[in-house]
Amino acid sequence: MTDTYIINATWAITNERFDLRVGHTEEPEGISLSGIPLPGVTAIAPAGEMNVPAGARTIDASGKMLLPALFDLHASINIDGHSKRESIYRAGQAANHGGVWGMLVMPSRGFCFDNAATLDSFYEAAGERSFATMIPAGCITEGMQGEQQAPYNTLAARGITILSDGGKMPDNLLMLYRAMKYAAEMNLTFAIRGDVPCLTRNTYAHPSTTSYNLGLHGTPACAEEIGIETLIRLAADTGARLHIQTVSTAEGVAIIRRAKQNGMANLTAEVALHHLLYTHEDIGDYDTTFKTVPPLRDQKDCDALLEGLKDGTIDCIVSDHTPCLPFAKKQDFVSAPQGMVALDTFLPAIYTHLIKPGKLSWADVVRTCCTTPAAIATPYDREEDTPIASPLLLFTPDSQYEVTADSLSCGTLNNPQLGKTLSGTVTLPIN
Amino acid sequence: MNPRKDLITIDALNDEDIRTILDSTSAMKDIFTRSVKKVPALKGKSVLTLFYEPSTRTRSSFEVAAHRLSADVTTFTVSTSSVVKGESVHDTIDTLMSMKMDYIIVRHKHSGIPAVIARHCKASVINAGDGSHAHPSQAFLDAFTIKEKYGDVAGRRVVIIGDILHSRVARSTSTILRRLGAEVAYMGPGPLVPPQQHTGIPRFTNWDQIFEWKPDVIYLLRVQNERIDSPFFPAADYHAAFGVTEERLRRIDDLDMGIMHPGPVNRGVEICDAAMDYRNCLINNQVENGIAARMSILYHLTPKTQSND
Amino acid sequence: MPSISKEQIERALDAWAAHLLQTTAAAQQGSTLAIVGIVSNGDVLAQRLVEKLASAGCHALYGAIDITLYRDDIDLRGKRPALRSSHLPFSTDDLTLVLVDDVLSTGRTARAALDVLWEYGRPERVELHCLTDRGGRQLPIQPDYIAFDLSAEQSPEVKVFLTETDGRDEITF
Repeated sequence: MTDTYIINATWAITNERFDLRVGHTEEPEGISLSGIPLPGVTAIAPAGEMNVPAGARTIDASGKMLLPALFDLHASINIDGHSKRESIYRAGQAANHGGVWGMLVMPSRGFCFDNAATLDSFYEAAGERSFATMIPAGCITEGMQGEQQAPYNTLAARGITILSDGGKMPDNLLMLYRAMKYAAEMNLTFAIRGDVPCLTRNTYAHPSTTSYNLGLHGTPACAEEIGIETLIRLAADTGARLHIQTVSTAEGVAIIRRAKQNGMANLTAEVALHHLLYTHEDIGDYDTTFKTVPPLRDQKDCDALLEGLKDGTIDCIVSDHTPCLPFAKKQDFVSAPQGMVALDTFLPAIYTHLIKPGKLSWADVVRTCCTTPAAIATPYDREEDTPIASPLLLFTPDSQYEVTADSLSCGTLNNPQLGKTLSGTVTLPIN
Repeated sequence: MNPRKDLITIDALNDEDIRTILDSTSAMKDIFTRSVKKVPALKGKSVLTLFYEPSTRTRSSFEVAAHRLSADVTTFTVSTSSVVKGESVHDTIDTLMSMKMDYIIVRHKHSGIPAVIARHCKASVINAGDGSHAHPSQAFLDAFTIKEKYGDVAGRRVVIIGDILHSRVARSTSTILRRLGAEVAYMGPGPLVPPQQHTGIPRFTNWDQIFEWKPDVIYLLRVQNERIDSPFFPAADYHAAFGVTEERLRRIDDLDMGIMHPGPVNRGVEICDAAMDYRNCLINNQVENGIAARMSILYHLTPKTQSND
Repeated sequence: MPSISKEQIERALDAWAAHLLQTTAAAQQGSTLAIVGIVSNGDVLAQRLVEKLASAGCHALYGAIDITLYRDDIDLRGKRPALRSSHLPFSTDDLTLVLVDDVLSTGRTARAALDVLWEYGRPERVELHCLTDRGGRQLPIQPDYIAFDLSAEQSPEVKVFLTETDGRDEITF
């Protein structure tokens, strides 16, 4: 393969401009910028200083941002009624559109990663069908039923490093305590959402004007906070690594901040993009697109989550991608399934709603959406027996596009950006 | 009022709509005094009652209203023995569409179901109570009952007592009364009354505060143990703490307050026996006015079933 | 725009009352007379006629009916017409009944009014009296008395203003 020259690209973290040569040669040391390796880049020079041979393939990246592609630590890819291969293909394509090169795939009804056979067939299908690297998260319990621990040793031998029951907090804390003690020895990470199931059963919205006006039972914030506190205590006692999923409340952020300040190691946390962008008011007149678990909360919670991201309390932003068929979302709010799809529009939505208004810097986004989540998931090539580095992407901030049903490739339409205009388009891979 | 297909919530109506429906309620009530208690306004129209939750009272009230407007009434029997899921509502809509109904009156335990049905069919959909969300026809009959008794709703004070959290009646009735210029307050057991910052309605915790506030009407909600999925409060306390006891009835009488209740009442829980015969007990007026209010609602809605598109 | 003045209306009402006294009242032969106006305007005219009859010593019952719920065009209009209260506190059984309206045209209102009356009983005899007739009948309905016959004017619109509701007495066409 011949070299490609990328001229005048803006490195997102420092806002400096560079020329790059992208080629085939693997350099053992590799080239890096801001401490981030640039896979495939064989030469780099300040903009205008690269010696480009006549006739070489050149991409003019003026006005485009160069950054590592994003890694999503929380995606469910199962589409009801579709084959697994189709679900994998769709999610991979959507991820690429949204600037995501790799994702941690949550176990779900369709992809119940509690045994070796399911994992083997998943790896095979994902290798053939996916545009994105897919890392499965193993189940905490068999069938995600919350009762019997899954065979962690077997799962770890198949490359599993993170365990999750798809966000569900087990009812049985004794089971979880023992699971953590067992898995701690294998360096597995538990990814769980803070919850007290008996406090959140049959609840559908944040307790608020919205829950009152629509007559929907409220999901108390304290359920999540008690859950987070419980998980932290269990992890501290057992020594297990803990990743707290989809924190949604201000007090939840404060609890994690205190734990980290008290020196708790092996604790990470994530926020779903929608908990930064929307509040319960977006539910409006029962818009089921905005039905999520945990529910969309108050503006003060959004603000606290953003603050937590900036000071490092919250480690990463995730998509919490959850495809739901249009038929299912057309039901009433109580019956409709929870969740949004976000992969297709992930980086453009982050840019439009967080970077452009100055809420987060590019450096924050690279840290919380690229390097930190990838470090937590430790993507690994099992055949080559090497870690996989993030590829690069180019982002064109000035181009605008309207999100239409046709522009979504994830297979379902439960994307709150549908019908809205977003800034920025993604080029992945860059050459 | 401008043509409107459905009645799902009071919030969806403008002030003119509310006034028109209330004014016509009075004209509808005149019909009850005639020897022939029937008018031909909806002759040839078909009305379907689709109740996923049992309610003899509301259903019969709507059926009598529809009969008095000369409409044909069909009762769609929904099995209540199994849990009725949203999916089957969707399938039911297709069935209803092919039955060419003009008006569909829906009750369901899930908040938001009537809106889903309304979006997907041409018939006028009337919400006869959905989950903890709304019960607009009850709101109209309540507002009409207060208007009839006191001449005007504006300036009246009404306290609604009981399980506000689960009550669609509290939501819809408080909304219409406040839109018409009344002051509303809530009172009930702690876990069953949402905070004022969510409701915008002042919250009392005991009867002393109520007597101090001097409402014109005491509106009692039914204690619905069947809807409460788990214990919310010590049930044995209810009558003594929140009910109209004989002692409280004497003060209510002294202060000349009215008593209302959406029915059916639990005697000895929300209300003592004696209060049912109290001179300002408006519960029977509510029942009679319910038919007139529902006639007015049926009359003012315009189904899209006439158009050919 | 041609119009009929307050004085002309006043004179016409006197003549109308006189006509009622001479013909209808005389012909009733023991049965009670009721003047029933169609809401709106007909009720006002009926009230005035009852008063004029009373001052002439003849007692007549007063009633008002809203025919909206009996219209044959409820479905043809997008918007449902507002309802007014009817006021007919007596049975119409065996009465001689004079139905009063302001403008007679197609005859559809009168048809609906007859349906309403029969819901209250079985009158002995019903007459139709109108302040104006602008022609354009679509039903086999003829008035027994017309104060102003405007049918030759071929006026598309006749408007009746009455002091009780509009602050002045006037007819424009």
